[in-house]
Amino acid sequence: MRKQASVVITVIFFLSLTFAFYQISSSYNYMENKYDYTNPINESSANESVPQHYIKDTKNETGAINVVTAIVVEYRGFDTLGEVTVLFTAATGVGFLLYNLYSRKKNKREANLILREGSKIVLPFALLTGAYIFIHGHLTPGGGFPGGSVIASGFLLMMLSYPKFFMNEKRLSVLESLAGITFVLIGLFGLIFATYFLQNYLNLGNVGYLISAGIIPLIYIAVGFKVGSELASVIQNLKEVQE
Amino acid sequence: MVVHAVLLIAIPLLSAFLIPLIRKISKWFTISILTLNSIFSILVLFEVYNKGMIYEIIAFSPPVGIYLAIDNLSALLALIINVFGAINFVSTLKEKSFKFHMLYLLAIAGSTGIVITGDIFNMFVFFEITAVASYALVASKKSEKAVEGAIKYMILGSLGSTFILMGIALIYSQMKSLNIYDIANRISMMNENIKWISFAFLLTGIGVEAELFPLNGWVPDVYEGASSGIASLLSFGPSKAAIYAIARLLIVIFPSMHTYEIALWIGVATLLMGEIAAFMQTDAKRMLAYSSIGQMGLILIAFSLVSQGIRYSIPASFFLIVSHASAKSSLFLLSHKNKMGSALTKYGGITAVLSLIGMPPLAGFWGKWYLFLGAASEKLWLVIILIFFSGIIEAAYFARYLHRSIGEEKMEASYAYPMAVLSTFSLAFGLLPFIYKMANMHLLGGV
Repeated sequence: MRKQASVVITVIFFLSLTFAFYQISSSYNYMENKYDYTNPINESSANESVPQHYIKDTKNETGAINVVTAIVVEYRGFDTLGEVTVLFTAATGVGFLLYNLYSRKKNKREANLILREGSKIVLPFALLTGAYIFIHGHLTPGGGFPGGSVIASGFLLMMLSYPKFFMNEKRLSVLESLAGITFVLIGLFGLIFATYFLQNYLNLGNVGYLISAGIIPLIYIAVGFKVGSELASVIQNLKEVQE
Repeated sequence: MVVHAVLLIAIPLLSAFLIPLIRKISKWFTISILTLNSIFSILVLFEVYNKGMIYEIIAFSPPVGIYLAIDNLSALLALIINVFGAINFVSTLKEKSFKFHMLYLLAIAGSTGIVITGDIFNMFVFFEITAVASYALVASKKSEKAVEGAIKYMILGSLGSTFILMGIALIYSQMKSLNIYDIANRISMMNENIKWISFAFLLTGIGVEAELFPLNGWVPDVYEGASSGIASLLSFGPSKAAIYAIARLLIVIFPSMHTYEIALWIGVATLLMGEIAAFMQTDAKRMLAYSSIGQMGLILIAFSLVSQGIRYSIPASFFLIVSHASAKSSLFLLSHKNKMGSALTKYGGITAVLSLIGMPPLAGFWGKWYLFLGAASEKLWLVIILIFFSGIIEAAYFARYLHRSIGEEKMEASYAYPMAVLSTFSLAFGLLPFIYKMANMHLLGGV
């Protein structure tokens, strides 16, 4: 009975989604002429949509070439702060709940020679690539989240090839906190030195150079460190449970 | 002095990030941050009282950026969440783990964020923070029941989040905007079918958090399993924030007769299901949990009366939220031992129960009073009869509860004092005259 009910619910869910997306595609031409948005505070309207604004004005307003980065860090930076916090909350929760099961046994056969030696060579490159991805977030595709994940995957590789590989959890959490504090402080400095929280108060610099776009690279470096250390500590916690 | 409302979110986040560096003093640090935040929330409430709706832009002016939009109800809810959070923290002082303190701060920050943000995607992000922190906090008791409740909550909660995200994506695909008031201004241009599907998705997703019928399967298990302090936190924090999010959805984004009618009957079903199930319970915490569901239905009914009786609808929800948040969190603290020995606990428990039943001059009475006026102005006689009926059931099981829990045994001071203070709020909000003015500021629909 339950199985059938869940099948019915799933089918209804997908049908309604299909219907909705069909409606979007069929009403596409009709949508073109409603591209003006209203400014909710001043009630004055401009004749372009929010996506158009992002594509046209990103370079002038934020100094970043990568529009996605500009949206993620500048226009909707508050959401990114929230998303980073979601990940932080999840990592904290995992650490909090699995803390009692902590036990480190000597175990396991070693990985084979190729994996062991290969991972030694690959690890620095993985870290370097991760760092490159988040430092160049405002210029090239990528940013803090993918860069941090690449760094964490380097540590995962080390854990797979050396069963005794162990990261100091305290240092990881210190790194994590420092990165988070940096993000919030950058936002609060915006409130102090300029008018709004997370406002870009630094010089935008030359568009296209590494040191440009004001606070965007700073925030992305903080996010990269934060995501990397969080994912690494989650992997570490889960590994301890498995043992 | 300009009060920056964004500090209500930024300070708890900053301190949650800071706690791992200062593990040894994390308890006292958390208390001072919660106190600081309550002072901020009081300042924000007075700002709204004096100036009307306040906005705070973050990074870029909307709709390309995000802003916080604070009306009278969200200022009240921010006050409730932060002040009650600080008081309720006293009951959880036994927890030594610094991670518990971090999660507590994050849950407070997240539910504050839901009520003060003016951007629908930002609201989703804060929903996620609140929900993830609540799962961990519920499971923090580490008993079998707590883990069962937390897993049920997690599965339903993450399904709900998916629905919210789908609804937001559908709205964005049509309106090319995420700002609530921007969407509300142009909602008539939206394709009818997509509008209805996105409304259904958002209502389903937020309904999980707001304990609405039939999405509330997790509620009794979670409240039964969680420790008393956390059950109390859940009853004034995330659930109240979620019901306010539904109010924004209903009144600001999708205002139409049909949506009000849907909300009204979901509210009635939630009310009846909650109250009848509560009457049949034998366990005190499960009874309080079902009673919570019933109260959430009552608040939803109050919001859905907005079309004719906006004069009564907003004050009704205002007082019902205050009454339920203070009385139910106080009763959850009482359910730690369920013994009312000292005079303090007797005062707290009886005040809370009287407010929930709706005795004048407590806040619960004014809530039900305005609710009846609103329903009468819309000529919904059936709804009035059903609310009366559920009120009688409520009085019956709360009388039974009081009878069973009065005894000689005493509770610890760490539970007795916060409990008495929390129920005093339902007394105070029923008596203070400025609250009436505040409740009658109809800011929810915009300026």
